Amino acid sequence: MSAPSWFPWLPVHLRSNDNFEEMSMKIKDIITPFSAWSNIVKKPVTVKDPFSERPGADRYRGFHKNDVEACIGCGSCEAVCENQAIDLVPVDGIETKKGDSGLRPLVDYGRCCWCALCVDICTTGSLTMSNEYTWISDDPEDFRFIPGVDKKPWDNSEKGWTNPGYSLYNPDRVEMEEIEPDARITSFIEIVKGYSKEQAEKEADRCVSCGICVASCPAHMDIPGYIKAIRDGDLEKGLQLLYDTNPLPEICGRVCTHRCEEVCSVGVKGDALAIRWLKRYIADNVPFEDYKRILGLDSLPEAKKHIAIIGAGPSGISAAYYLRTMGYRVTIFEAKEHPGGATMYGIPKYRLPMDMLEKEIGLLEEMGVQFQFNTMIGREVKFDELYAAYDAVFMGIGFEKPYLIAIEGEEGPGSIQAIDFLREVNEGKKPELGHHVAVIGGGNVAMDAARVSRRLGAEVTVLYRRRIVDMPSDPEEIEGCEQEGIHIEPQTIPTRIIKDKTGKVTGIEYLMAEMVDDPKGRRPKPVPIEGSENVLEVSTVIGAIGQEGYYDFLGTDWLEKLKIERGRVVTNEHRQTSIERLFAGGDSVNKTADAISAIADGHTAARGIDALLNKNN
Amino acid sequence: MSNSNNHKLLIQPDRSSYPQPDENGKMQLDLDSGKYVKVWHGPNHPGVTGNMSLELTLCGDEVVEAKTHVGYLHRGFEKIFERRTWMQCFPTVVRMCVPEPDSNEYNLAAAMEELSDIEVPEYAQWMRTLILEMARITNLLRLLPANGGTMGLGLGVQWGVYLRDLILDRFEELTGARIYHMYIIPGGVRGKMPEGFKERLINNLNAIDDFLVRFKRLVIDNAVYKKRAIGTGYIDPSWVDKFGIVGPNARAAGYNRDVRKDNPYLVYDQLDFEPYIDKEAASDIYSRTWVRFMDLKYGVEMIRQILDKMPKDGEILGKIPNALNWKIPTGQTYVRSESSRGEYGFFAVADGSEYPRRINLRGPSYTHAIALLEKLLVNANISDVSAIMVSLATCPPEIER
Amino acid sequence: MNQEFKTSDEILQFAIGREQESVDLYTGLSETARNPEMKKVFAQFANEERGHKKRLQNIQSSGQFKFTPKEVQDIKVGDYLVDVEPHPGMSYQEALIVAMKKEKTAFKLYSNLAAKVSNQLLRSLFDSLAQEESRHKLRFELEYDEVVLKDN
Repeated sequence: MSAPSWFPWLPVHLRSNDNFEEMSMKIKDIITPFSAWSNIVKKPVTVKDPFSERPGADRYRGFHKNDVEACIGCGSCEAVCENQAIDLVPVDGIETKKGDSGLRPLVDYGRCCWCALCVDICTTGSLTMSNEYTWISDDPEDFRFIPGVDKKPWDNSEKGWTNPGYSLYNPDRVEMEEIEPDARITSFIEIVKGYSKEQAEKEADRCVSCGICVASCPAHMDIPGYIKAIRDGDLEKGLQLLYDTNPLPEICGRVCTHRCEEVCSVGVKGDALAIRWLKRYIADNVPFEDYKRILGLDSLPEAKKHIAIIGAGPSGISAAYYLRTMGYRVTIFEAKEHPGGATMYGIPKYRLPMDMLEKEIGLLEEMGVQFQFNTMIGREVKFDELYAAYDAVFMGIGFEKPYLIAIEGEEGPGSIQAIDFLREVNEGKKPELGHHVAVIGGGNVAMDAARVSRRLGAEVTVLYRRRIVDMPSDPEEIEGCEQEGIHIEPQTIPTRIIKDKTGKVTGIEYLMAEMVDDPKGRRPKPVPIEGSENVLEVSTVIGAIGQEGYYDFLGTDWLEKLKIERGRVVTNEHRQTSIERLFAGGDSVNKTADAISAIADGHTAARGIDALLNKNN
Repeated sequence: MSNSNNHKLLIQPDRSSYPQPDENGKMQLDLDSGKYVKVWHGPNHPGVTGNMSLELTLCGDEVVEAKTHVGYLHRGFEKIFERRTWMQCFPTVVRMCVPEPDSNEYNLAAAMEELSDIEVPEYAQWMRTLILEMARITNLLRLLPANGGTMGLGLGVQWGVYLRDLILDRFEELTGARIYHMYIIPGGVRGKMPEGFKERLINNLNAIDDFLVRFKRLVIDNAVYKKRAIGTGYIDPSWVDKFGIVGPNARAAGYNRDVRKDNPYLVYDQLDFEPYIDKEAASDIYSRTWVRFMDLKYGVEMIRQILDKMPKDGEILGKIPNALNWKIPTGQTYVRSESSRGEYGFFAVADGSEYPRRINLRGPSYTHAIALLEKLLVNANISDVSAIMVSLATCPPEIER
Repeated sequence: MNQEFKTSDEILQFAIGREQESVDLYTGLSETARNPEMKKVFAQFANEERGHKKRLQNIQSSGQFKFTPKEVQDIKVGDYLVDVEPHPGMSYQEALIVAMKKEKTAFKLYSNLAAKVSNQLLRSLFDSLAQEESRHKLRFELEYDEVVLKDN
């Protein structure tokens, strides 16, 4: 006999006799619960009064603190917050500057869940939490505050949650494979091998997409955007983003001075993103045949207006590209045989192989940009004619004329200028250097001259007036020099080039320098120490202390009108010069004198020209 | 279908005044007859027996029909996850079960790690095991005495809450928070043991040992408790598979069911333990209380064992992608762990993006407190309704998500 | 320099004369320079020298001058550079070298004179002029260091 299935419960007394016996009440069961009375004589375990302090644990996730001096406003805290409790806001007294967005996190305690992921991901380690438990305020607005700026009682608390000693992004850069130094110095083969797909995606994954880099880039490239495109495996999108602001990504992907990497927030505690190599990865891995389709260049409008560009360097090419996309007809005049300017004639092939240039120039030609090579303004064509014949002129002529070291013995053979030397080598010549070369200078041109000399078989010593930390060249160039066995002698001031009776260079005399502070607070100045003369036996001296512009081709009348200050053409924010329809850009305009600034100038000028010509309509 | 236990009935009750089933087994309730009263139990929140609602039809003081109503606690977590990055889900999942958030953390982490093929360092695995066991005893310190509490014996609850607080202090030290620990971060854990933590934890465990002795005297041996709990809320062992009953509730019905043993995860295969099973399958409130009592006892032992066996130091976080850009390759997985209430499962689907396509939680209360409870409450006395709910360790938040 | 100076007035007159020479030199260079930009540079140099002359004339007319001996930094940028003969096609670099060298010569002149005189007042006047010239030199040297020697 059994109960129906919908009667799961049956009272105890209905159960079997056996069970009933077994479970039956014992007198003990009635008495034992009263053992709890023994607690009456025990000390209570609760807190006796509400005023006793009971501090939070050492790592308690209490209220936010922020070291606003260390914070760079990268916004990773904002990005990781699942509740959108953090907003990056401007703060009085904190200015936007290089590597600092000028914003600081504002925390909304109506949304915060105190998970502390913001602390864990903080790229600078500035954001932490105190171990405070309670905070009472009458004003609800108080609970939206900017830690570190709005003073709070827990600001000086030493305890609380900090990063547990790990990183929620990989702080280590994916290493770039390079040709071994021994193999490098025997040829001009490109040193950097470039990332594979896997390496590029791994490197791109490290990006926190803060965008601080964008402000530091002269061309304001959408760096987080194209890095995301790599992560998403969408290289076409990446290429479009590159060309939005930079029509020479192959070149910049190799030789850009990458100021973006200097400010990279991931670089504060770890290695900066290899932004340059990622750009190169995109440019190298999209088939060139697809460029026109991807960039939408198949059918460009054809306007009547015609723009002349003087110089086929980066700024000229950049201006030509953007003017052409706006529909202008463009003709580029170049004095030399090939386009590319300083990138073609100045940068050694182990950094920038020739075919990269050809690829990008090829795109311009397909877009219908006209090139006139071996045509120098002032020689083949007068500037007057040019200015009269075209609707606007863009001048991107660079700095061609080297500054001399201006010491005794600089005249004559055996003492050459780096830019002439590099041009000759890139043209395929092999200048005679002898056994030992002294390169004077500490910029990228000096490093290029040194490394090229090394490849031509010479021993190389670089003499630089300041300290290694002051060298304006890229750190990886200095590193490359050291790997290739080039000796850098800092704090040395050349005083004389020594020659024998036949006029052959035999050595260079220099003084050691000490660094003294600049009265105006700029970088320290080297001052020679009297009596510290040294002589280095060399067969060739290469001067690489800098270049200046040369504008005589314009002719005196135009020069009178063109405003030039300290060797640089003065332009307004549209890169328009003091001559109305003459725009200028590149090394002869900007102080930074690198390819990316030139590209940015070209883009700015293109927009400026467009605005000017449309205004006149 | 029979009641299938071997208990022979002593007396057949006179149930002539009770509603009778029709041929389909559906109860014939004529509400107009005036013999029945409808009572809503919940959804106010007197502990876990609230915030879900029971629609009870009473005949006298006996429940003749029960319907479970959920939805009062729905927060839409599973939808929220679809709009959070995988890492942002980590602080969110904990909220799906307030008393024992760590199972959520572990399940999410395990799902993400499995789908993205990430290895968790050994030390982190031990720390995870430790924290899951700590969470188990924390929850049991609340659940076990609640078995007396629902019948009016609140003293045990106060003792339990005090001891639970001590363990929460340990959580605070280790994880930085008392309730939402957010410690088992995908890829590892968020910290090492602080100085002196082990000693303090062992002291707390000793206090729990003492509590167990006192609690047994106070509740388990208590004549009144026995009188009310024995035989009440009987789950027929044949229902275990049918209803998907898991964990302690299944073990009280004589089933050997424990994910830690059946499907070992973390370092449970390196630990020496046997979950307690009620061999006699008494399967009533009393039996389930006893299983929980033993779970707590074994849990304390287990923590001692973990502290003993675990490595002194090691890495806390494995190689994970950037937390902001963590994309999980297309795939799906079901991960499970043994919570204090039984198998706790996550079904996670990834579509290759930074966002989960779907994360679905299957908590033990989902069956225990919806389908099973409806069946279990019929013929129960109104005064035992809460006791039955608590004995099932009902946790409405995990039903509704 | 075999001139003998007896009074401060004589000294000032001499110094004013030298500043006028500088003004004339730069003005001349400005007129002959081929490059309009260099014309402006030299005109600016000439203006600066005019300013120096004016200061000396003020001292002369008021009869008062204040001299506090203060070391002026010498960063010796120009010391080892080869002399540049002024010519119409000068570049900015060459112009700066000319200017640096010129100020250096003036500094040396006044320092030597200061060493020769025994009169305390006259010596401090020479010292003051020497200091003034070395300050002018430093100005050109810093410019050279920042512009020409940017990469060195």
